[in-house]
Amino acid sequence: MVFSNLPLLILFGPLLAALAILLVPSRGFGLRLIELIHTVSIAAVAVLALAIASDVVDGAHLTAFDDWFAVDALGAIFVSVIGVVGFLTGLYSLSYIRHELRDGELDPAKVKSYYGFFSLFLFTMVLATIANNIVLMWVAIEATTLGSAFLVGCYGRKSSLEAAWKYVIICTVGVAFGLYGTVLAYANASDVLGNADSAILWTTLAAHATALDPMLAKLSFVFVLIGFGTKAGLFPMSAWLPDAHSEAPSPVSALLSGVLLKCALLVVIRYYAITVRAVGPEFPQMIVLILGTLSILVAAPLFFVQKDLKRKLAYSSIEHVGLIAVGLGVGGPLGVAAALLHAINHSLAKALMFCGSGNVLMKFHTRDLDRVKGLMRVAPVSGVLLLFGCLALAGLPPFNVFVSEFMVFTAGMKAGYLWLMLLCALFFTITVAGFIQIVAGSVLGKAADATPEGDVGVAALAPMGILLVLVIVTGVTIPGPILRLVGDATAIVTGDSTPVAFAMPWATQAAPAEVALAGPQLHTETKR
Amino acid sequence: MFDFQLINGLAGLLIVTSLLVILSRGPANSARFYALQSFILVLTFLALAKETGSRELYLWSASAFVTKVILVPAIMYRAFSKLDDPRLGSGETMSPAVSVILAAGVVILCFWVVSGVALPAAEAIKPALAVSLAHFFLGLACIVTQRNILKQVFGYCLMENGSHLTLALLAAKAPELVEVGIATDAIFAVAIMAMLGTRIFLTFHSLDARKLTTLKG
Amino acid sequence: MMTSVSDSMTMTLALATIVLPFGGAALIACAPGKASKWLCQIFALATVASILGVVAGFVEAGRAGATQDLIRIGRTEILGLTVDALSVLIAVAVIVIGFLVAVYSASYLTMGNREHPAVGRPRYYAFLLVFIGAMSGLVFSSTITGQLFFFEITGGCSWALIGYYETPKVLRSAAKALLITHVASIGLYVAAALLFLDTGTFAIAAIADLSDGSKVVVILSLLFAAWGKSAQVPLHMWLPDAMEAPTPISAYLHAASMVKVGVYIFARALLSAGAVPHVVGWVGATMAIVTLVYGFLLYLPQVDMKRLLAYSTITQLSYIFLGLSLSVFGSHLAFQGAVAHIFNHAFAKTLFFLVAGALSYTTGTRMLPSLRGIVTKNPLLGIAFVVAALAIAGVPPFNGFFSKFAIFSGGFAVAQENLLLLPMLVIALLESIGCFAWFLKWIGYSIPGKPSDAVASAQPLPMGMQVVLVALMVATLCSSFIAASWLG
Repeated sequence: MVFSNLPLLILFGPLLAALAILLVPSRGFGLRLIELIHTVSIAAVAVLALAIASDVVDGAHLTAFDDWFAVDALGAIFVSVIGVVGFLTGLYSLSYIRHELRDGELDPAKVKSYYGFFSLFLFTMVLATIANNIVLMWVAIEATTLGSAFLVGCYGRKSSLEAAWKYVIICTVGVAFGLYGTVLAYANASDVLGNADSAILWTTLAAHATALDPMLAKLSFVFVLIGFGTKAGLFPMSAWLPDAHSEAPSPVSALLSGVLLKCALLVVIRYYAITVRAVGPEFPQMIVLILGTLSILVAAPLFFVQKDLKRKLAYSSIEHVGLIAVGLGVGGPLGVAAALLHAINHSLAKALMFCGSGNVLMKFHTRDLDRVKGLMRVAPVSGVLLLFGCLALAGLPPFNVFVSEFMVFTAGMKAGYLWLMLLCALFFTITVAGFIQIVAGSVLGKAADATPEGDVGVAALAPMGILLVLVIVTGVTIPGPILRLVGDATAIVTGDSTPVAFAMPWATQAAPAEVALAGPQLHTETKR
Repeated sequence: MFDFQLINGLAGLLIVTSLLVILSRGPANSARFYALQSFILVLTFLALAKETGSRELYLWSASAFVTKVILVPAIMYRAFSKLDDPRLGSGETMSPAVSVILAAGVVILCFWVVSGVALPAAEAIKPALAVSLAHFFLGLACIVTQRNILKQVFGYCLMENGSHLTLALLAAKAPELVEVGIATDAIFAVAIMAMLGTRIFLTFHSLDARKLTTLKG
Repeated sequence: MMTSVSDSMTMTLALATIVLPFGGAALIACAPGKASKWLCQIFALATVASILGVVAGFVEAGRAGATQDLIRIGRTEILGLTVDALSVLIAVAVIVIGFLVAVYSASYLTMGNREHPAVGRPRYYAFLLVFIGAMSGLVFSSTITGQLFFFEITGGCSWALIGYYETPKVLRSAAKALLITHVASIGLYVAAALLFLDTGTFAIAAIADLSDGSKVVVILSLLFAAWGKSAQVPLHMWLPDAMEAPTPISAYLHAASMVKVGVYIFARALLSAGAVPHVVGWVGATMAIVTLVYGFLLYLPQVDMKRLLAYSTITQLSYIFLGLSLSVFGSHLAFQGAVAHIFNHAFAKTLFFLVAGALSYTTGTRMLPSLRGIVTKNPLLGIAFVVAALAIAGVPPFNGFFSKFAIFSGGFAVAQENLLLLPMLVIALLESIGCFAWFLKWIGYSIPGKPSDAVASAQPLPMGMQVVLVALMVATLCSSFIAASWLG
């Protein structure tokens, strides 16, 4: 364990930025200043997140503030996701929000609070990923709801207020379950360990999990899964998700779907790790697998029938979270690694698609797919980005979602769930159909004559371009550092401390180096 | 031993007050009953603190008194007394009698669940523990069955009180900061919900959850 | 294993056949629209040059098969190249035909086209190149993951190409093609996962190390995937609908490349598997016969030339499946015949599709009843029609005859020991005769005599298309000799 200032910096950077933004007046020059602070804030989070990740890749375990904050490989994955996706969607926000301001959808005061809450939201999510204190973890997840509720209801329309209300109520209630689960876990540990101070740390819980009372551990996991599963978007607790995702401004939808769901999943994964150690893998795997499968089975058809682009994407998020849960549910090093990798990959691809939906909104002023026609003709670059985003989320190669879906599938077969995997694969075919429908109906085709030609600005397209590059690069080769992080994180989750239990499907310790060696040949293929 | 009985008794009172919160007419009334309930919760904490000799719990009682008995009800009272949707009545979708029977059922179920827990610390206070769990679910039931969106906020508060009590019962020596974190979060949650609720009332001119049906599918 | 300089050169060239087209597609995406058709042809030609280099290097190295890893994690091959007689032969077909189609398309997608007057957009040429690259990737893949990867890319491209005209009907057909083949790809997923779990690698060669039970499951899963791409019952329905595609695309995808993906992966699996339990042969042969009969019955009512060709493709692919399945019973000849048939049928059917395209380009229709007296109006087109029809029907000296003959003689040899195969072969023979009669009927109807109105008013055929048709007619005559001498 290494004491480090990085966790504190990444935590308080965006918090300070949020406070600063709230102090700046929203008139005239103030808005520019706010945008500047916002940009500095998101850039700082990105840089610090990657610095943390690179320290962790080198084998460090960063801690701060009496171990209340700690970043291990598992946390580092999610911190980097926040950093990268937060930065790119934050950049995208600049041009998107300016557009909304010009169109009169938002007024300067709302723009100001948008940026303020954006940084606040980042702060709460970072807090959730680096908290080692389990109560703090709960506080952070609850705070993400509160921080993002304004962002969801930002437009102040009837529908957005409704969405924000459902979001707040369902999530706070859900997370109240999480609190109960947390309390049970803590009480369990402090009773067994006889030390009230250290029992509150996740690291201590994980280290002494075998001593916990099994009945309470199970009960606590059920509560936690219901609670944080609500936030993660697992069926049947996902009722808030389509509303919130569709009503929020597009960059926020990207952040919700790409990052927030994953933060909640991280907490679920942390308790999953404890429970696996305390009562063995069967119980937690079984309920996670059931919820995951249900999510896929329910979300896939609902995804297909939606007419609203962003609702469609929201259901697709439920489906992919379901797949991550299935990965955890089939368990074993392979399943857990596949789930973690899918979490990363889905974040990137979904952020790309939600930003794309923002472009659609800027061009067509509607999310109704029946009225969005011929994007490729009026805005060619957006069209291409959306096209590739759809193909990526449909799970086709050479995009990253394909890789991790395949890994989950392999893990499932290894664990003996052949038929279940076939069922999931079939339902994912419905997803392919849905995305093809989007491309065929809205990206291609002839635009209505009234739609003005011309793409959205470079400032909006550049972050999406970067996302697409990331989606392709991680699809063609899993970069060494990610491989390393996922491997180490899997060992943390499964509790296998033996060094050979490196978690990739093709399990050997030397893997990252060899990928680096074999990589360049393939790079020529993508970079040409 | 006597004090544990006191604790269990106080916990029983909590159930009664939460029924009052759920069934009373108008959000402002509920806010008063909620303050009452929180006061009983603070008393429970004090009793527990005396029994276990936990210094932290005394601190808790103090902070809980400030946040739950004063701040939260005040916020709600201020925000909600201006908003009233007389068409809704108490907003309950079930008759009071059914609600009470249901509550009783929940309590019995919770007793049964708690009886399976084997922690030594939980031995003497099992009834209170069961009550705290039941309290949690009563809050949930309130949210599910209520049409009045403001009353749904109270549901959340009840759930939160339930978990708070469980924490105090099972882990009396938890660090003070934990308590502060939970309490602060609850205040923020209530404040944000109150704000959203107000905006919904101003936009929809109603507090009926069934009117929130634009988004479907 | 020793790797000489020429070996690594061959591997690099093989990699180039995959990378070049992808690079060309990327370039087309960036270049101005007018340059795209030239870029497409240039890169397709460069790919042809690379594959010829591979052929030369392969022959020079004494025709020894070789495999090289591209991505490998630990001891697990993820992606690699196999250069052997099978992959080089098929790669030659898909790449050369790809080039010919690129040349043909440049003339076809113009304002002069009477059926679809429109200038080809960059997207068309880019996806065509990607398709060529993905096909060589699939053919050279040494791992199931590689096959899966390129399998899905061809699926995605086929969707883009079939849906090129973007009418709702076309887009539905395109989605159908993508979805059905995607369902089929689940077979590849299963095969890849099972192979990995049993052997720790994705290398196709590892199928040989499986126990009999797993081997059957893996190969049958691959066979399922193969049925999807090669449009066999019950996953056949996408192919006739896909005829909405621009005709050069039908020629390439539905004669030479996409539909050959299926038979190729099945052939590759059998080649690598060593001894295969007979149950695989029974399943494969039975379904081949079912498809054969089904496809033949559906020829009969077709009047749209392209739909007729689609059903004909389905039955011809059944012959290949039949040949491959027969090889499971021990007939090396049937295997070679089947592989040769992949090669031969690619040229013959491409020719036929391009004739259909030329007819719709010059006359504006591809409905057989309104096409009469073709040879009188346009002798080249008439002759090409006859050559293509006779080659498909398996009439000597055209290529289809030789490969079908090999399949049948191999089949009758193994039928001595497996009497149940005999009725299957007889049904297949009957189909051959019926197919011959049916094509003869259409030749007699369409070719000689006084031109019908549509044909009489036909415009002349552009030079580019003429050159391609002649090249394919020559190929139809020679390809079976090339294949025979190549396979030994």
